[in-house]
Amino acid sequence: MITYALKRLAIAVPTLLLLIVISFLLMHSAPGGPFTSERELPPEVLANLNAKYGLDQPLWRQIATYVWSIVSDFDFGPSFVYKDRSVNEIIAQGFPITLTYGLLSFAVAVVVGVSLGVAAAIRHNSALDYIAVGVSIGAQVLPNFVMAPILVLVFTLWLGWLPGGGWQGPEYWIMPVIALSTSFMASIARITRSSMLEVLTSNHIRTARAKGLPERRVILRHALKPAMLPVISYLGPAFVAMITGSVVVDIYFSTGGIGKAFVDSALNRDYAVMMGVTILIGALTIFFNLMVDLLYGWIDPKIRY
Amino acid sequence: MSLLQINDLSVTFDGDDGPVHAVNGLSLSIDKGQTLGIVGESGSGKSQTAFSIMGLLAPNGRTSGSVRFDGQEILGAKPKVLNKLRAERIAMIFQDPMTSLNPYMRISDQMTEVLTLHHGMSKSDALTESTRMLDAVKIPAAQERIRLYPHEFSGGMRQRVMIAMSLLCKPDLLIADEPTTALDVTVQAQIMDLLSELQREFGMATVLITHDLGVVAGFCERVLVMYGGRVMEEAATDPLFADPTHPYTRGLLAAVPRVDDEDAIMKAIPGNPPNMADPPEGCPFRPRCNFAGEDCRVMPPLDPFAPGRARACHRPVKEVTA
Amino acid sequence: MVSTTENTIATEALPARGRSPWADARRRFLRNKAAMMGLVILVFVALFAIFGGWAAQWSNEELDYNVMGQVAELGGPSFATGHYFGTDDLGRDLFARTVQGTQISLAVGVVGAFIACIVGTLYGATAGYVGGRTDGIMMRVVDIFMAVPYMFVLILLLVMYGRSITILFAGIGLISWMEMARIVRGQTLSLKGREFVEAARATGVAAPIIILRHIVPNLLGVIAVYATLLVPLMILTESFISFLGLGIQEPLTSLGALISEGAGTIAYGTTWQLGFPLLFFCLTLFGFFFVGDGLRDALDPKDR
Repeated sequence: MITYALKRLAIAVPTLLLLIVISFLLMHSAPGGPFTSERELPPEVLANLNAKYGLDQPLWRQIATYVWSIVSDFDFGPSFVYKDRSVNEIIAQGFPITLTYGLLSFAVAVVVGVSLGVAAAIRHNSALDYIAVGVSIGAQVLPNFVMAPILVLVFTLWLGWLPGGGWQGPEYWIMPVIALSTSFMASIARITRSSMLEVLTSNHIRTARAKGLPERRVILRHALKPAMLPVISYLGPAFVAMITGSVVVDIYFSTGGIGKAFVDSALNRDYAVMMGVTILIGALTIFFNLMVDLLYGWIDPKIRY
Repeated sequence: MSLLQINDLSVTFDGDDGPVHAVNGLSLSIDKGQTLGIVGESGSGKSQTAFSIMGLLAPNGRTSGSVRFDGQEILGAKPKVLNKLRAERIAMIFQDPMTSLNPYMRISDQMTEVLTLHHGMSKSDALTESTRMLDAVKIPAAQERIRLYPHEFSGGMRQRVMIAMSLLCKPDLLIADEPTTALDVTVQAQIMDLLSELQREFGMATVLITHDLGVVAGFCERVLVMYGGRVMEEAATDPLFADPTHPYTRGLLAAVPRVDDEDAIMKAIPGNPPNMADPPEGCPFRPRCNFAGEDCRVMPPLDPFAPGRARACHRPVKEVTA
Repeated sequence: MVSTTENTIATEALPARGRSPWADARRRFLRNKAAMMGLVILVFVALFAIFGGWAAQWSNEELDYNVMGQVAELGGPSFATGHYFGTDDLGRDLFARTVQGTQISLAVGVVGAFIACIVGTLYGATAGYVGGRTDGIMMRVVDIFMAVPYMFVLILLLVMYGRSITILFAGIGLISWMEMARIVRGQTLSLKGREFVEAARATGVAAPIIILRHIVPNLLGVIAVYATLLVPLMILTESFISFLGLGIQEPLTSLGALISEGAGTIAYGTTWQLGFPLLFFCLTLFGFFFVGDGLRDALDPKDR
């Protein structure tokens, strides 16, 4: 298990470095160049940049400096637009918010999705099964940016139950979480259901039944783990998609997470912040994929070695 | 009273293209400590018979008739009732040892849960007992190996684990469904030797399901020959081999390769097993039978023509009186 | 589903009626109710996109001065004014705008999926055919690309190189070829050992020609299925970006941009501005998902 974990880690670290280098090169190759922009940079900003990257240095030096300041100090450098703010400050402001509703949405999607999928598989061809399948097919076409306005329309404008935006307390969390988790919940339910149905027809489940185990125990101890494998594979992409979706949530519900910082910086071309967010999210993704790999290895003894 | 008494058992599956009649009106009985072989080709319904005894049919399978175990009707019984019998009194070994063990659980966990569930043993007692059973099926270094996962065992070793697991509760009846089909020939013999040794030692009644007449000859006291979901012939092992009276049994025996007689010609039965979604009218063997006539369009009844023997045929190969 | 060998064998013994695999697939597809429904929906959406313009009484750019400033009161869906779907916030005809948005969304979806298919197929087929170390490296690169939060990168690209529709089309296609490459590589590996490929290789045909003439044509089924499932994902991606205001720019519009506009004005009681674009958005996605699933089931009968 330890060798396996180290192997996965050995892949994750270079991936992250590569991501940073690629982002830097991308920024560097932007038309006109980011630092010699067509816009007039405020002299203070230019001074910041010069001090930070040594723009007179050769390219590889600049890359090395950038990578090193991220790796050693977790420092993404100064903003291109605001004189007195660093990328770190801008990200730090929104990150806890994104993390809060992001993790909540993730938990909701996994818990509700898996339960729904398992229930539908156990009661195969029952009314519950049909409802679960119907809901998950319907939710497939309800991505976050469709859910968000519908939720506001219903719960804020028609029913007046929930605040339409802001970030002041738990009641402000509800709609962002629902908007963000619905389509993933549906996908997880669908994957769980079909994989559980498949596992339930496998030979080792027949053996478990032949041992006289109660159905509950057959499902929970023998069928759930293998049925979770495809779901776990899906969690990696789902995580990326959810972080991406947080941008919509931040914009539509004014929650103030990093998605807001990203879109703002995109609109006023603050490349440093965009890169910082992209790299941070890439790092999170890589870290998360690593966790997923470890979870996979923990469940499936065959790939551990 | 027989330990297991099956009367007029039928199993039907609802398929996409209409019902498939896997077993049609099968009856059999087996006493305590007896060994019975059920022989037949693929698709003859022998495995489905075993699954219906255990209540393990696929969800689209329907049954009718009666299966009595120790006087109690268990066909279509509630899972609660069946779960008390499974492993505790009726155990089963499956065809494919590679997939019949749970690949995601240690052998120890898979074995001990049987004992903690049925006998309420503590985890450590159950572990000791399981290790002892692995010793009994001759798995070397059982103490360490019990901690392993199934993929770390070879096919033959996995089948030994399956056997050990099925015998944990000392069942009254063991159903072995093609226990050696998926294994190498040399390993097959070892597993059959082990089974027959354990059968004598534990004294449980055993139903051995196989397509291999050689395996039956070495193991079973009585044999039931199935074809197309029906019993064709039933007899004690020796008379059946010495003197088969049903054309199908004869065909089967002729198809067995012989080492002792080099001149003997091995003859395959012409044709294919019947499609059970659309079975032939009357005797299922009729289309492949050399002796078939018009009267075979009506299924012959199982005729107990001699003590301990019965067959279902209008045109037996020759009349035998014992 | 009967999982026992006994029954599979019994069913296999059915007399073969000698159907070609394609005819078989077509029969399965036509019997699939969800897929047929999806097809009907898609035909409807396509007809709407192509011929909807003729039915519109207003052009998509014309401002209706009668409703301007009073859109919530006068701009609702009505046959009398000729605005079947109402008007948008500026008084433009929403029916014509929805037709235009549907056209662009479909175009982005199809073009994006096309680019992803070409890149993914060539990449995957090459990796699978060449094999060995090249294959290992090429697939490693795919793994790395898959860990990139592509939506952010795409937005980065759009911001740096200007929000042109060309970059949007190409960018959406270029970020989605990885999964395709993986699937094609797997299929290529299994095709590589087949006789006709061996034969071509033995007679000295060059590798690029073998890939294009022998491997790719045999992958068309898989590619078709995957392409159909890619289109809705492309539409989703484009709509997402347009929803943020970073995608399609005025005077062009897409379903995502229309949803964004509609979502921004729901507080003023102009629900139709959200409703109609949303309806066509959902219909389009449903259609593609159903047809794609149906194709997959029809061409890959493994699940049956």
